[in-house]
Amino acid sequence: MEKNGDRAVTPTAADWVDWEVGTVDRRIFWDQAIYERELERVFARSWLFVAHESQVQAPGSFVTTYMGEDSVIVARDDDGIAVFLNSCPHRGNRVCFADSGQARQFTCNYHGWTFGLDGALKRMPKVGLYKSTPGFRMQDWGLKRARVADYKGLVFATFAEEAPELEDWLGDFRWYLDAVLDAEAGGTEFLPGGATRSVMGCNWKFPADNFVGDIYHALWTHLGGAEPTLGRHGGVQVENAGSYQVSVNGHGWEFNDSFLGNAATMGDRDLLRYMRSRQEAITARLGKFRADMWGSVASATIFPNFSFLPGYFTFRTFQPKGPLKTEIHAWTLVPKDMPDDIKDRFRRGSMRTFSPSGLLEMDDGENWEHSTSANAGWITRHQRLCYAMAPGGDLERNDLPGIVSAGQLSDANQRLFYKRWAEMMDAESWADIPVAQPTAGAKVDA
Amino acid sequence: MSTSLDAKPNYLDYPRLSREQARAAAAQLIAMTGDGSPVHDALLPRIQRFYLREARLLDEERHEEWYAMLADDLFYWMPLRENRFRRDKRPEFDPDNMALFDESKADIAVRIGRLASRLAWTEDPPTRHVYLVTGIEAFETAVVGEYEIHYAFVQYRNRSEHDAAMLCGRRRDLLRATGDSFQVARRMILLPQSVLLTKNLSAFF
Repeated sequence: MEKNGDRAVTPTAADWVDWEVGTVDRRIFWDQAIYERELERVFARSWLFVAHESQVQAPGSFVTTYMGEDSVIVARDDDGIAVFLNSCPHRGNRVCFADSGQARQFTCNYHGWTFGLDGALKRMPKVGLYKSTPGFRMQDWGLKRARVADYKGLVFATFAEEAPELEDWLGDFRWYLDAVLDAEAGGTEFLPGGATRSVMGCNWKFPADNFVGDIYHALWTHLGGAEPTLGRHGGVQVENAGSYQVSVNGHGWEFNDSFLGNAATMGDRDLLRYMRSRQEAITARLGKFRADMWGSVASATIFPNFSFLPGYFTFRTFQPKGPLKTEIHAWTLVPKDMPDDIKDRFRRGSMRTFSPSGLLEMDDGENWEHSTSANAGWITRHQRLCYAMAPGGDLERNDLPGIVSAGQLSDANQRLFYKRWAEMMDAESWADIPVAQPTAGAKVDA
Repeated sequence: MSTSLDAKPNYLDYPRLSREQARAAAAQLIAMTGDGSPVHDALLPRIQRFYLREARLLDEERHEEWYAMLADDLFYWMPLRENRFRRDKRPEFDPDNMALFDESKADIAVRIGRLASRLAWTEDPPTRHVYLVTGIEAFETAVVGEYEIHYAFVQYRNRSEHDAAMLCGRRRDLLRATGDSFQVARRMILLPQSVLLTKNLSAFF
């Protein structure tokens, strides 16, 4: 903060990001104060992915996860899915230490306060001590609950009372999401066994902006990983003809029309044969435009930190752990009605490409770590980064929802990701954050 | 195996287990509890030599020689570790769950191919590895010439300037005698970390 006469001048996030030209101040990947503001203004205000409903199907089933740096429990009771803080309101201890399981209640290890599957305080040892405490009411001391909503199996939560509904937050991005969530009748599920989790020494925004619209890196970063499966330099076919970037409220998807381009790098011919056998039915269900997105060369981020890759169907959160550390939690999503053998091929295929042991993911982490750590240099972090690539310009296609640009090789989505980030960082309240009005739906193929 | 850049090997022709074979191999590894008869005293030093050599070959990036130490019907498995309550009834290890490695020999060949491509930028300059293997126990099995091995390992990695990771774990192997040496036919690698406290597993275990 600098003093300018009597007026305190605080740089706004809009100063960190020039989304029109495409430059980003590197301090947003380094600065602790900016990070703290992100926790408050981005993470605590956003609808954040917490679970797939298949993870909490039976009453009493639960998983634990994070919303920003807040540990939460996602539990199913008879009334549905509840999400609440995983921190006892008594002395603050973590309440549930398991990643997943079945429970009738959650009991804090410290003093034995016990909470229901809805987070409400049910009982505590020597309750008479409280019964004789004037003004003490059990209902005041439950685990703080979040708002919960789902879109086609993906469960989101927010602690922001004033945030718009999830359907408005996702807006027209839902139409595109159906390309992976509704390609087949019967819904989707996460494959069993929990999340693969790993720690990277990078700022969370580098992986999030990579997935929102950076296919450009694949042409170089992933040469080594793609070579053994697809052949030298033949691995990744990316052109701007027949490809797009689309952005809605900061969520973004870059994609081409190859139907199985991403899936092909898993090097499993039986899996590709199966996917081809489904092309006609998926086309009939979604129309050709979105069917071609199902497993194509593509990546996407749901703002701020929930990303996925069509074709591998890895879905992952980039959990912030300070400005210089990110934890990746990843699952594989498949249509529920897919044959078991094919599900298993996706399980192994996504593991071998995009997991901590994955041939492609292994190349990414080091880039993001050093994009972050280089900012230790004072001179270095005062050089702005280039997000200027814009070969196609905006595309005037009124049959496609969202902000659409021609060609997937572009920084368009990343600029709009940082525009959204700046809007949320600068807004005093949710009322100051613009939300794109959902349209009736796209006309393409309709 | 050929890993030359011009003649890309056809990995589809490499040895690969069917899903049923992989499940059976996983079941065999899960059932290995070290309760059999210890191998003859004369055999144990030979087995120890095998593992010391394996560790050294991996340290020295002699991947093709290491590859020859693996049987064609290899099943190579690193299950995920989850934090679960003790009362949880689900089996701790399930071959149908997500895993960190779930490989046939063909998949190992692809991984070696990545390194051999010289296009894996993040391995150039190379990572330096030190493997320590210790506490080797070896038991007879119902099959003559196949041995159940339990041991612990430490794998230290260092690359660039400050980038270091140390992974400790346990391995269970089914080791098969071949002529005057052995081959690894099954391997289960158990890391104690539920969240991998490192960015990747760009290494062989």
